[in-house]
Amino acid sequence: MTAILIGFVIGIPWLGALILWRTSDENPRLQHTLAVAFSIAAGFASLALIFFSSAETAVDIPMGAFFGSLTFTPDGLAVALTAIACVIGSLAVVFSVDYMKGEAQLSRYYTFVLLFIGAMAGLVLSGSLLFMFFFWEITALCSYALISFYNDDPKAVAGGIKALIITQVGGVGLLSGALITYATLGTYQISALLENAGTIPANLLAFVAFGFLIAAAAKSAQFPFHTWLPDAMEAPTPISALIHAATMVNAGVYLLARFYPAFVQVPGWALSVTVVGLVSALITAFMALTATDLKRALAYSTVSQLGYMIYAIGVGGFFASQFHLLSHAVFKALLFLSAGAVIHATGTRDMRRMGGLGKQMPFVRNVFILGALALAGLPILNGFWSKELILEVGLADGPIWAYVGMLLGAGMTAFYTLRMTWLVFFGEARDSSLHVHDAGSAMKTSLGLLAVGTLTTWLLAGPFGGMLHATLPFHSMYELSTLELVEEIFSAPATYIALMVVCLGLGIFWMIKKQAAAGKEARFDILSRESFGFDWLNRQVTSIIFKFATALQETQTGKLNWNVFGILGALLAVLVFLLWSA
Amino acid sequence: MNFDPLNAVLIGVILLLAVGFYGLLITRNLIKIVLVLQVLVKAVVIALVLAGKDSGNLGLGQSIAATVIVADTIVAVVALALAVQVRIRVGTLDLSKISSLRG
Repeated sequence: MTAILIGFVIGIPWLGALILWRTSDENPRLQHTLAVAFSIAAGFASLALIFFSSAETAVDIPMGAFFGSLTFTPDGLAVALTAIACVIGSLAVVFSVDYMKGEAQLSRYYTFVLLFIGAMAGLVLSGSLLFMFFFWEITALCSYALISFYNDDPKAVAGGIKALIITQVGGVGLLSGALITYATLGTYQISALLENAGTIPANLLAFVAFGFLIAAAAKSAQFPFHTWLPDAMEAPTPISALIHAATMVNAGVYLLARFYPAFVQVPGWALSVTVVGLVSALITAFMALTATDLKRALAYSTVSQLGYMIYAIGVGGFFASQFHLLSHAVFKALLFLSAGAVIHATGTRDMRRMGGLGKQMPFVRNVFILGALALAGLPILNGFWSKELILEVGLADGPIWAYVGMLLGAGMTAFYTLRMTWLVFFGEARDSSLHVHDAGSAMKTSLGLLAVGTLTTWLLAGPFGGMLHATLPFHSMYELSTLELVEEIFSAPATYIALMVVCLGLGIFWMIKKQAAAGKEARFDILSRESFGFDWLNRQVTSIIFKFATALQETQTGKLNWNVFGILGALLAVLVFLLWSA
Repeated sequence: MNFDPLNAVLIGVILLLAVGFYGLLITRNLIKIVLVLQVLVKAVVIALVLAGKDSGNLGLGQSIAATVIVADTIVAVVALALAVQVRIRVGTLDLSKISSLRG
């Protein structure tokens, strides 16, 4: 049964991708219907899989001596992330029915969306490092294809290539870690690595640990790789929601959470993770303060929230990080999709041109406010509980300077969230040329479901923690019911400190909202638009690679005689080397 | 140094290889390239039989040689057909003039 369900959550989206790939773009109605049907089927399969979570390997297919076995392990961590990917992914697909209406090349769009969802499920369920890498690269490919979906727009193509190059850097880290594991332990199985991490020589284990940290940082757009995610905003908005909430960026956090027990013994690793999370959370929160592009502001906030999760793993709050991942997936999907509804209605992403939209689209305004309050961390929405849990763990177990930094980040989050909401939905209309219409019914369906999720998913904290506790033998964590969690959060002083900081952030915005809303912070504007110089650094790396490739092109003369000359030269060199060493 | 007939065959193989590689280096005519490739492959076929004899697996060496002959015949046929098409479409068989596919 478990094996069949695992086959379903990966197979149904991939089968759908295969079928949609062959459909004709002349019949968009069929394409929408098929995509929604397949993604919702996968969503239900993933929800059913939750009830079959166990630490046992459910699927074990031998793939020969070199590749090891293709195994799938439905433990708590894996099934939770699968459910997030499939359920939120299917809501993004439902949303697309309205958002992508009338777009050309829907076949390409839905094919990659479904391939993406299936690959994400495979990535988290895989029990073998090598096949995890395989799924990891498929998600990178899909993100590239979807970010560059509008492939006649040079900015979209550049954003896609940037995402591809940066995540490939991370892929190298993951692959080398997997190969070192194979070289030392003789297997690719994740459980073997978690069990026998102590037997790997310390320097090699450190190499694996930091390789995985690089992989996670690149995938989750953490410092210093945080520049690709804002550029990925050129994608259609449901794709942004998919990448930011359901798939892709969660993979990095998942990777660190999965291997935390193995790597925590590496000196300096946990501290590095903490610092990566802290720096990412702070600088991107800062950039979100001045962003004028609605989607970019949301993208910065994603990096910032992912920073919170990475920080939580660094200080040992394994459950807190996964709980925040769950909350974040729900409320960020809600925010992105309502932003998509706004962008669809107004035709612009510039917040300076919006304003006063709340009157024309009350439903979208209400759910956006709900998501914004969850992002800011106000009770009783799901973002509040998970963020408080992270800050509490950070205060108890982490360095105090990191805690202060994260607290500051929470204040900034409240500030920019209120700024976003205010600029878009309140005040007077700044641009009368916008023709606004309310969201369609498919949009409202997925927004409504996500809004309900934002209000209620924190109630699942107890069962979620219990499931993780029961099925992850190598992660040490204590079990709490939801009620105990609520009591603990309300009795901890950290909660009140954080709430005060959040209110401070909201209050500061309220006082200076005239200046802040106008987008006039020219002094910080340039600094944050260039990502504190990291954007420049990334551009340089990319341009050097391109120049190197162009220079190498000269060696491809296309003349047979030269190629034979090269072959003979290489043959001679090998012969000389063999004779030399003999 | 006593004379071993296998050594003589080996020297012949090396000579054939040298002729083939030299031809590949200097030839520009497509038809001649196909001929030169044939010389190279014949050297390989002899080397395969020789290796089979030397290692005591004469049957194995011969059967692989026969397979190579079959495959190589197909290569030659297709290559010649391509050369004819190139001559018809481009108007020349000179390699240096038909490198328009270079990317």
